[in-house]
Amino acid sequence: MTNRVCIVGIGVVESTENTAEMSHKDLLFYATRRALDDAGLERKDIGGAITATFDFLEGRSLSNQYTLDSIGGVMKPCDLRLGEDGIYSLFAGYMEVMVDPGQVTVVASVQKASERDPNGVGYQKLIAATLEPIFSRPVCSSVPNPGSLESVLAAMDARAYLNRSGLTEQQLAKVAAKNIGNVIQHANVSVPGPEDILKSDLLSWPIRRLTSAKESDAACTLILVSEKKARTLNQDPVFIRGIGWCSGKSFLASREQGTAKETKWAASQAYHMAGIRCPEREIDFAEVSDWYAHRELMHCEALGFCGANSVGSCLDEGLFDRTGALPVNASGGLLGRGNAVGTSGLIRVAQVARRIRSHNNGFKNPRAEIGLAHSWGGIPTATAGVAILGKW
Amino acid sequence: MARRVALVGVGMQKFDFRKTETVEEMVFDVARNALEDAHLQKENIDSVVFGSAVDAFCGINNSDKTAIDASTGLWKPTMRNSTSGSTAVSTPILGYNHVACGLHDLVMVICFEKMSENASAQAVFSTVYDEAFVRPIGLNVPIQCGLEARAYLHRYGLTERQMAKVSVKNRGNALSNPYAQLPMKLTVDKVLESPYLSWPVKLLDTSPVTDGARAVILASEHVARELTDNPVWIRGVGRGADSVWFMGRKNNDLGRLDYAYLAAKQAYDMAGIKNPAAEIDYAEVYDPFTYKEMQHCEALGLCPEGGAGKMIDDGISLKEGTLPVNASGGLQGEGNPIGAGMSRLCWCYLQIKGQAGDCQVPKDVNTAVCNAWGGMYQYNAVMVVGRD
Repeated sequence: MTNRVCIVGIGVVESTENTAEMSHKDLLFYATRRALDDAGLERKDIGGAITATFDFLEGRSLSNQYTLDSIGGVMKPCDLRLGEDGIYSLFAGYMEVMVDPGQVTVVASVQKASERDPNGVGYQKLIAATLEPIFSRPVCSSVPNPGSLESVLAAMDARAYLNRSGLTEQQLAKVAAKNIGNVIQHANVSVPGPEDILKSDLLSWPIRRLTSAKESDAACTLILVSEKKARTLNQDPVFIRGIGWCSGKSFLASREQGTAKETKWAASQAYHMAGIRCPEREIDFAEVSDWYAHRELMHCEALGFCGANSVGSCLDEGLFDRTGALPVNASGGLLGRGNAVGTSGLIRVAQVARRIRSHNNGFKNPRAEIGLAHSWGGIPTATAGVAILGKW
Repeated sequence: MARRVALVGVGMQKFDFRKTETVEEMVFDVARNALEDAHLQKENIDSVVFGSAVDAFCGINNSDKTAIDASTGLWKPTMRNSTSGSTAVSTPILGYNHVACGLHDLVMVICFEKMSENASAQAVFSTVYDEAFVRPIGLNVPIQCGLEARAYLHRYGLTERQMAKVSVKNRGNALSNPYAQLPMKLTVDKVLESPYLSWPVKLLDTSPVTDGARAVILASEHVARELTDNPVWIRGVGRGADSVWFMGRKNNDLGRLDYAYLAAKQAYDMAGIKNPAAEIDYAEVYDPFTYKEMQHCEALGLCPEGGAGKMIDDGISLKEGTLPVNASGGLQGEGNPIGAGMSRLCWCYLQIKGQAGDCQVPKDVNTAVCNAWGGMYQYNAVMVVGRD
């Protein structure tokens, strides 16, 4: 391929800011403004606008239409709205720039979870609404506590995985402690250890309060341009070297629990495109979906980060630590930063791009040239997206 | 540079209330029909693009995910697009991008909508408005379109009788369409006598709620040439969207669809079409309401701006006219399953291939245009297809 696509602007609003006072349109507006400022562009430069959000999560139909004004897409030539996880907007934006290399494309996603009811039952209803209605939904309605549907379904997956891999609960706690610790590294706060994680509420064995990510608000906007266009801008470009996405079975009765086959397939496409043969050596760092602690390990395994070793031994040897050979979720991941369902995928990409640029304070990894961002669709769907970004 | 993309197969299905079928069954049906039409196997498909406007219609969050097994997309990349009514053409544009950018060679595009599951489509549509400022006004689709129709008729001096003629034409054309839900033999007076939903929009100016799905298979040039000697190419695509705030549009006039003109211009520029009225042989125009067909004919340059009334009066857009529009019956006659309005593109393909059966127009069709309208009443997607 002659032309390449790169990220030149990054804008993120996360729940560390006062998101309760902002509507989802505000969230996205500020994220886009930051991305434009970052790229040194203005609204008039935008040629296309792509967003990815889910109607049911937003509580309105055609929710993704609302984003148009906030991201500067009014009366612009390219425009798409995806009912997918945020990382898919990167894929659609990539295609858009490849087809029309003169285009400045804004890709964005927003999620305002704080508008749902605070005790979490609203989200459980959404999980139920995602299930196939004839066979799966009636079975799941028999879960005794309406607030625990998600953890019951996740626990089935986790148990199957622990059983297959021989991992222990302590190792899951270690993952959670690592990611939470990565966020509060510099703050003057005590970091919870694995033993504290194991003391947190048990939702459905082995899923605990602190081994599953809590919902949060966030908005993320990235600006994509072709390499040629990027050379005219001041900002250092981050190149999209490979993308891949894949969907597996979402039907509960026939899905394979305890595997991340969709991630494996998505990664194989992305690796092929990026020319990566040996991911454990060629990938410098990764941001991987850790919606639940066991999923991080499952995804690391599926992404080929462990080579011939077992994922448990890699974890125990500190390979995935902030200072390890292949840091995973050094930003804190979803366990540390909160999970803005549907937007967190794009935020993973933003984290990787920032680190490659080394604009993220506190990271001084001498070898941060090729990073991988991964997103998983969450219970009960089986979708995954992988993007590989590089400095060159 | 963008690669050339061809249409190599379509999957059709009768639009109807499919109460006894699931989304998966509908999707399976059209995916299989499209594979048979293109003489392909499911293993040949590289990726799937779904289009469905509103999940709340069928009551399943991420409804496309339940249909992945049925769509040929299992363990493949699948992506879902949703721009309300314009999903019908913006989804094949997303599919076009998949092939044109070089990622995939054979892409299955499936649009579906299952509207019979809910008690009232309008109750669902009322949730699309901004909850703070617009929803309290109590708008729904006919009221919003009534506002738009009034502005349009006033701006260009058009009449309700001209709107009624579009209804007579499209529902009459649907009599020869085996997939149509509501073909009718009507007279202009009968349309004018039908009850008002929101003046000037009457019951017979609208399109029926229905269930349905459509599939098309897109191929890169080298694959298309292996499959067929004379491929139907996607020659131009265009999109345009105005502000979501209908009271804050740039031109302050609901009667003129600036965004549709923008979308059409892009598609024609890409296709190298200078004079659409002369160069386009056939059009499938999005007609959820009769006046929308008229507005879209103008925006697509099939007649001069404000000339849609004369176009229908002179019989230009009739099946046997010089520039037939919606010989399949359009949404009025065939039914309007929002996302599955991709039927417009399917009929353009069938007309070019000469496979439109009784709907085939009595002229050579080399170049055809279709469009779809949607979003928050502010989005238009246009696609020009044709032979070399």
